[in-house]
Amino acid sequence: MKLITAILKPFKLDEVKDALQAAGITGMTVSEASGFGRQRGHTEVYRGAEYTVDLVPKVRLEVLVDDQDAASVVDVIVKAASTGSIGDGKVWTTPVDQVVRVRTGEKGADAI
Amino acid sequence: MGTRERRNRSNEGDQLLSSLFTESNANPQDVAIAAVGGFGRGELSPGSDLDIVIIHTGALSERELSDLVNKILYPLWDKNVKIDHSVRTRSEMRDTADSDLKVAMGLLDIRLVCGSADLVASVQADALESWRKNSKNRLAELEASLTERHQRVGELAYLLEPDLKEARGGLRDITALRAIHKSSAIAVPIERISVAESTLANVREALHIVSGRDKDRLLFQEQDKVAELLGYSDADALMSDVAQAARSVDYLLDSTWYRLAHKGRDGVGRFLKKVRSTPLSRDISVSNKEVVISGDADFGLDPVIGLRAAASAAQLGLPISMDSLERLSASLSENRGHLPNPWPRDARENLISLIGAGSAMVQIFEALDQEEIIFHWIPEWKAVRSLPQRNVLHRHTVDRHMVETAVHAAALTRQVHRPDILLFSALFHDIGKGTEEDHSERGMRLIEPLAKRIGFDEEDVETIKLLVKHHLLLSATATRRDLDDPATIASVVEVIPNLQLLELLHALSIADGEATGRAAWTDWKASLVAELVRRVELAITDNTVAPQPELTLDQREKAESGVLAVSIENRESVYAIEIVVPDKTGLLSIVAGVLNLLRLDVRSARTKSHGSSAVMEWIVIPDPHAPPLSEKKLYQELHDALESKSSLTRRIEERIEAYAQLPTIPVPDPIVDIFADAATDATIIEVRSHDRPALLFGIGDSITKSNIDIRSAIVTTLGAEAIDTLYVTEIGGGPLSSERADEVATRLRSALK
Repeated sequence: MKLITAILKPFKLDEVKDALQAAGITGMTVSEASGFGRQRGHTEVYRGAEYTVDLVPKVRLEVLVDDQDAASVVDVIVKAASTGSIGDGKVWTTPVDQVVRVRTGEKGADAI
Repeated sequence: MGTRERRNRSNEGDQLLSSLFTESNANPQDVAIAAVGGFGRGELSPGSDLDIVIIHTGALSERELSDLVNKILYPLWDKNVKIDHSVRTRSEMRDTADSDLKVAMGLLDIRLVCGSADLVASVQADALESWRKNSKNRLAELEASLTERHQRVGELAYLLEPDLKEARGGLRDITALRAIHKSSAIAVPIERISVAESTLANVREALHIVSGRDKDRLLFQEQDKVAELLGYSDADALMSDVAQAARSVDYLLDSTWYRLAHKGRDGVGRFLKKVRSTPLSRDISVSNKEVVISGDADFGLDPVIGLRAAASAAQLGLPISMDSLERLSASLSENRGHLPNPWPRDARENLISLIGAGSAMVQIFEALDQEEIIFHWIPEWKAVRSLPQRNVLHRHTVDRHMVETAVHAAALTRQVHRPDILLFSALFHDIGKGTEEDHSERGMRLIEPLAKRIGFDEEDVETIKLLVKHHLLLSATATRRDLDDPATIASVVEVIPNLQLLELLHALSIADGEATGRAAWTDWKASLVAELVRRVELAITDNTVAPQPELTLDQREKAESGVLAVSIENRESVYAIEIVVPDKTGLLSIVAGVLNLLRLDVRSARTKSHGSSAVMEWIVIPDPHAPPLSEKKLYQELHDALESKSSLTRRIEERIEAYAQLPTIPVPDPIVDIFADAATDATIIEVRSHDRPALLFGIGDSITKSNIDIRSAIVTTLGAEAIDTLYVTEIGGGPLSSERADEVATRLRSALK
């Protein structure tokens, strides 16, 4: 099993969610995140004070999938999240040892 | 469901206990069974315990006593009757009550079930006597326990799954109110909450029936069933009624604690047995730390008095006395004291001052709601009163959410150039809720007649409509659209075409989000919205600075003559004053000071230098204690003050000192902005501050001390917020250098502290 983590531009969330659902992915975890990559930050004025924003608001999305689905799900996310401009985000996968569904106690692929 | 059923249940309990008592063959001279708490009041819900005390004289041996108790309790336990009991003598009862608040309060409702009536009567007399004698300590103890419980359990009116008994405004608070009343420390008009009490008791009873348990927490899953059993159309209607009941209990409890704390505590008044009263304005004063409307006030002749009292109270952070509110409410119900359509200017200004008071406004607004006064002023409010929003995003009912939004908006008044529009829109932004229709669209329709009635002009009404319609635009766009896409920015600019509207919408979005709570508004979302606003700002080219006034030909001619001239026009509740005066250093502060001493409250002013004179147009509202105003008198006062400013300064300082004795509320810090290049021949200083006595005098004075010239001034007061724009130059002419401008700004900021 693999855990796919994606960092996205917030406005792309709906599109990615729809694309994943169309690809048969039914469950995911979404959280608010902030950070920066190569795009770095910028300066802005908030309530009269100028300050440097080095953390840009992003959305973090996590999906658990079976090993053989991982590559195609990553493709789906990348395709839906892309605008071609700087700050589009990243997607990565990590191996997962075990998954248990809390309600039933099912384990492994059955719990996904 | 209802009082009768609860009474029957209690009677059945009595019969059961009486028959067991008779069967036990106990001597009715030596022992008694008494009911306490809810059972003592003869009210039992299906899941309630039988709360009893077995009182004895001490004449029985330990064995006899234990035999008797077993004979009564075992059959009850066998029947699965839930019973909460204690066995005590009269003196043990006294000791326990002294050390345990709960026992002491339970005994206030003690009632004989069977056995020695004398014994129960003496325990009751002890309990009441001790409660009254020690009321000061016991009520303090009670208040502390309530505060702790309220913090732990939350507010009945606003929780999604409230505890009907323990939450703030719940049944236990009603018991507390009764206990306060019984202490004789202060009279509590319990009858005000009789409807609320029966609503809450009925809902609790229905909850026990549908859940089959004795739990008092009204869980989501039970709400539909309880609503059905009680004949409500749906769970929303049920929760609305529960919220309404809880709010009336909370209101009575709050005002009771307040009156108790400030009873007869006003300096020397306490010793002279006479309440000291500080007059605020006509027919309005402060006494016992409450704002009071005079008994002689004629609501028909002075329909703004209620709003004036509300605004004064909110701005001072004090409540309005319940008696004053009741009189006002009664008068309005008899159709006396209604505001005309449109409202006069001072009514609107007072409404804005009320809304702008921040958290101090909440309890005033709640009082106006509880006394049904607000509906006479703003009938639209009735449709959203206690309207529940049963979703995970919201913490409050629709009406309370709007009040909370106004509280958050009050902290943002320095960020905008029209604080009055921000505050008004914040208080009514969700007025369209309550139907299936899109609430923003419906709100825009409903706000139009309301804003017109309150007296906003056409242009302002359009702004308010746009704010209500688009109050979710910035959050929705910032989180769902690509901010890098020029089309996104263009779509916002299309509906929000100028900076003034943008800053208002930004402040409203923040206030709305913060009031909704953490589920809807986080730093993450705030930063996205701020980024969107920053980009839209760059795409809008206008600015928010007030332009210099233009003079008429007639005014220019007068100015060129170089002599002092005063003319006054009386426009209903305000005076429009034109002053043409030879220009001199410190002129603005001198004229503002004279007006202040004549008890004329400056609402707006536009001044401009022309040749060697200045032309000034002032709009002022006379204080109720203001002496009659004439051109001659004003001319004389101005003439004298221009000759010698020193006595003016001294008198103003005395006036400020007198005001300083009144309490204050926290307000956002003043903001001083300097624009170096917005005008070609002058530097612009913009001061945004909470209004206060002689504010303009202070600003003018500070500018004079900086040794610069005021070419033109545009002064605006909106409710309790003031925005003053000054076009200044060096004495010889020309804009200030950036160092000089910083120096002036620093001086102004410290003068305004």
